[in-house]
Amino acid sequence: MGKAIVITSGKGGVGKTTSTANIGAALAKQGHSVVLVDADIGLRNLDVVMGLENRIVYHLIDVINGKCSLQKAVIKDRRIDNLYLLPSSQVDEKDAVTEEQMLHLVTKLKKSYEYVIIDCPAGIEQGFRNAIAGADEAIVVATPEISSIRDADRVAGLLAAADIPTRLIVNRISAAMVKRGDMLSKDDVIDILALELLGAVPMDDEIVASTNKGVPATLAGVSPAARAYEIVARRINGEVVEDIDEHVGFFARIGRAIGLSSAA
Amino acid sequence: MVWNDIKGFLSGGRRSSREVAKGRLHLVLAHDRTGLDGAKLQEMRQKIADVIAEYVDIDADAVDIQIERVSRESTELRVSSPVRTRNSAVS
Repeated sequence: MGKAIVITSGKGGVGKTTSTANIGAALAKQGHSVVLVDADIGLRNLDVVMGLENRIVYHLIDVINGKCSLQKAVIKDRRIDNLYLLPSSQVDEKDAVTEEQMLHLVTKLKKSYEYVIIDCPAGIEQGFRNAIAGADEAIVVATPEISSIRDADRVAGLLAAADIPTRLIVNRISAAMVKRGDMLSKDDVIDILALELLGAVPMDDEIVASTNKGVPATLAGVSPAARAYEIVARRINGEVVEDIDEHVGFFARIGRAIGLSSAA
Repeated sequence: MVWNDIKGFLSGGRRSSREVAKGRLHLVLAHDRTGLDGAKLQEMRQKIADVIAEYVDIDADAVDIQIERVSRESTELRVSSPVRTRNSAVS
């Protein structure tokens, strides 16, 4: 029996879909069977971020309505073994599916795949409730900005009320801005939200480029964000992995080695 | 956080936008987490003021409610009210 993980944030545009694609690709690269589920009914995007938009025939709502089998709607990513996508519908509305139907669907997927990664729509309405219905765990994605953190806190509260264990990804951190005092640090965000950190992803131009091309950064190569997502994937799988500090200077490294300063 | 103190001193005590954001978030989240909206908070403030006024002489408008996160796990609601005492100068 696999594990279902919902990726959510409350606020839109903080990197839910990008995180879903990259975590999924990283888990598949590490040898696990993964199906990504786009739960954003009416505003599908995971397919284009994955570069699989031309391969869609059937979608989630077709499966729910019995128009096709689950196997027929799931697309296999040909670039890598063990990676699959269940696309969303672009024409239906959020209420075309119920929480019970989602739970049933996710439970079925868990029988065939090790990881079911669900990309949640923005907001905390029906679409959110549908997306979390079958989830065993949740990942809240937040950027180090007031609006994103406020929404993340609200979502974390709802997930706690639903008894879903929740961890945090802090996305788009700029070490230079944190150092200047113009951005909340990873530790600031952890402290404010009081959530366990799953990973910190640096701001990385490569993410924009990889999305343009429809190739998740973790499939493409070794950019800083890709490395961060690979660590996230290993932690999801239960491994204990140290953070890589991209921007720790030479002297700080020496200081840390001889025990002069604590970790940032 | 000695280094931050030094930096703060050198910048003439100006808080960085990072510090400002932290402070604002602590307040906003403390309020959000209570689930109270502005009108409800106002109503509660008025009721508390009425109760206090039954026992001591106060200026009901000066009663203040502050909701603040004191640690990761706990949020505190503080009510403060100036009290007019028998020997205070103001009548």
